[in-house]
Parts: sequence; structure tokens; C-alpha cells
Amino acid sequence: MPEEPILRIENIKKAFGQREVLKGVSLSISRGELKVLIGPSGAGKSTLLQCINFLVTPEAGEIWLEGHRINQHRKRELYAYRQQVGMIFQDFNLFDHLTALDNIRIALLRVRGMSKQEADARAMAELERVGLSGHALHYPAQLSGGQKQRVSIARALAMDPKVMLLDEPTSALDPELIGEVLAVIRDLVANGMTMIMATHQIGFSRALADEIIFMVDGLVLEQGTPERIFSDAVCERAREFCAKITELYGESL
Amino acid sequence: MTEGLTAIINVFPYMLGGSLVTILVVLGAMGLGLFLGIPLAVGQVYGNQAVRWAVGLYVWFFRGVPLLVLLFLFYFGLFAVLEINLTAFTVAVMVLGMISGAYQSQIIRGAILSLPEGQLRAARALGMSDAKAVMHIILPQALRLSIPGWSNEYSIVLKDSAVTFALGVQEIMARTHFVATRTYQHLPLYILAGLIYLVLTYAGIKALRMLEQKVRIRGYAHH
Repeated sequence: MPEEPILRIENIKKAFGQREVLKGVSLSISRGELKVLIGPSGAGKSTLLQCINFLVTPEAGEIWLEGHRINQHRKRELYAYRQQVGMIFQDFNLFDHLTALDNIRIALLRVRGMSKQEADARAMAELERVGLSGHALHYPAQLSGGQKQRVSIARALAMDPKVMLLDEPTSALDPELIGEVLAVIRDLVANGMTMIMATHQIGFSRALADEIIFMVDGLVLEQGTPERIFSDAVCERAREFCAKITELYGESL
Repeated sequence: MTEGLTAIINVFPYMLGGSLVTILVVLGAMGLGLFLGIPLAVGQVYGNQAVRWAVGLYVWFFRGVPLLVLLFLFYFGLFAVLEINLTAFTVAVMVLGMISGAYQSQIIRGAILSLPEGQLRAARALGMSDAKAVMHIILPQALRLSIPGWSNEYSIVLKDSAVTFALGVQEIMARTHFVATRTYQHLPLYILAGLIYLVLTYAGIKALRMLEQKVRIRGYAHH
């Protein structure tokens, strides 16, 4: 490790009833890195991301942000931590009763306690950043999937997160809308945002990820640079998976 | 026939006054019901086991005991024993309101449960406490979805308000009964009472329909 990791998770375990979804996952990420989680569905990628900001309560394990261990049972600490960890969902989860602008403003006003003018300015700036300032007064139902996801990214960015978690941000999108969302994420990479992202976008990951983490059955099976994982993964499952996913989703982007 | 018509014309102002009392009883009861229904619903969906149990008990009680029994229980029973002096009107609003709170809590609970789970998760992910998430994200959506259920509830409370005549509340039913027993014009007077209730039902449901349109979220096609 070149420097102290900004976020470190250790030995996270989670079971839903009898089914162990995470069997002890550890990873750490340094400032400005992009780590990509890949693996077959049911591998636990989504659960892992949701455990990282305690939307799902892990049964065991520790999470450290900037050298400070998070105690999820202290409500105040938990809320403060979540403000620093942005989350992007596969199905956007925009607040349906609020305009694009209000979706971004609501947490600035109610969580960060900004004044109305401050919140307005910040929300507009974030909409601008994702190329949607012309859609500020549109409601989610009036936006395309790609636009919704860009608003949700703007909403997360407005909180000044130290780390962003992206849970298959393009999986619910029509193919022609994937590009606009990936472009926004690519911008974030260029600006040095620290991100952990679950995705099947192989071309994108190969070009931009610092590390690929291959998960199967609740465990990290292999991790390494994109070149290594995609070209000569040590384990056969990873090789097979990469071949299949490349065939399915192509190399483009 | 002409006697009937004369009776109706003569009592009309008196009946309008009764309509006003009915409207006040219904609005008061619906308002109190909403005031009680929101925390009851939130408690039943998000509360711990003790809270859920308490809400269940409340709903069971107020949905389970007949209106007339509750009116007498509170007016002649509880408040008399406690030596609390309340007018029949106040007790009518309170009892109808507490019953409506039980029913409205279930309307709102259904609306909350119909929202996508991701709404709460997204609010939490932004650092909102559950209380803030419920206040700013869940309830504004759930209350909109509750409006169709309310028009049902409104027409029920309106009709139930007639029972409060048993306490002597001077609403439509009490006044119709009062005049009818003195003029023996039962048929035209009760037809008039029925028509007033129909007009009030129509007006209330129309008003709620307009409210529904007014607060509709843009872009939602299924309305």
C-alpha cells in the first residue's frame, strides 16, 4: 500500500437465514482509486456494497474510514458516516415526489443544514456537472433511465462523499443509455473520486479500474490489475467468467 | 302533498344549520383521525414490537366496538365518571375521530407499504435518520396515495355522524327527527335528509378528487 487506505473493510460476513451471502470479505481502497467488483449474480457484490454503508447490517466484520472504526450502533456516527459514503443504486431510487433539483436539495437542506440559497446553488452546480441543468424541474417519471441515474449521481456528489459505492449503475438501463452514465462516471475517475463499483462493463473496467475484485459465493476469489484478471487470471472460474461476460457485453466503451 | 312541500320549505334554514353541524363533526373527526392515523401507521410499520402491539390493540378496539356503544361509553360513561364536562358535539368529534384514526392508520399503512423499498434505502444512504426519511420522503408520497382511501373514509364518517344524534348533537338527523315527530311529515323530511347526505357525499368526494389531481406527481401516467 502506497498510503493509508481511505476505506478499509475487514472480514465482513452476512447471512440471510441459512444462506451465507458473504463469508468473510476484506478489501481496502486508497484515495482516488477505482475498484471494480465482478462476479456472477448471487456472488454477494450488491450485499457487500450495502454492508459497507450499513444499509444491510453485517453480522461480523469491521469498517474503517480514514483510520476510524465505524460503530454502526451509534446513530449519530452512522448518519455522519453515510454522508461521507455516496451510494448509487442499480434502480436509481430517486425520490419520486421530488423534482430533479429537489432530489439533490433535500439532503443538503435536511441533513447538511444548508440554507436554501446555498442548497439551490450547490444542487444546480451538480446538475450542471452531469449535464442536466435543463431538467432541474423535471420529476423522475419525466426522465429517461440514463437521466435518472445521472441525477442520482449528482445527488450523491452534492454530499461531498469521500468514497462512492456504485451498485451496477448501468444494469437497469437500455443499451443506448449506458454510455451517458459511463461518461459521467469516467469524469469522476478523472477527477480523482474514490469508488467501488459493481459492474459487468468489462471494457470500461479494463480501461479505468485500478483493481478488479472477482467474487464468487460470498468470497473474493481473485483480485489484481485488469490486465492480469482479464488476460491471465489464475483461477479458472475467473477466466471463464471473464470470457463469458466479454462475449455478452462486448469490449466496447 | 302541498303540506309536505310547505314543511320542507319551512324547515329548510333549520336543516341548513344542521348540515353545518354535520360538516363540522365530519371535518373535525377526519382531521383528528388523520392526526392520529399518521403516527399510528408509522408506528405500525416502523415501530418495535411493543409499539406495533399497542397500535394493533388500538385499531382492534376502535374498529371492533360499535359506534353507538363507543359514543355512550365515552359520553355517559368515561367522561361522566371522570367528571369531565364536554359537550355532546365535542364527544361526537372525539369518538368519530378516534375511530377514523384507526381506519385511516390502515389506509396510510397500506400506502407506506406500497412504496418501493428503495425510497427509504436511498434516504438512509444520504445520511438521513429514519425519522427524517419518514417525514420528508415516505409520508409525502404515502399521503398522496391515501387520498382515494380517504374518499371512502369520508363517506363512512359522514354517514356515521348521523348516529351522534343519539347524544343530542344538533346535526341533520337530529333536526329531521325533531321536526318530523312534530309535523308528522316523515316521508318528505327524511327524503330531504337523504338528499342532503347525498349532496354532502358528492361534494366531499369531488373535493378529494380535486385534491388528488392538485397534488399529483407530474409524469405519473396511471391517473
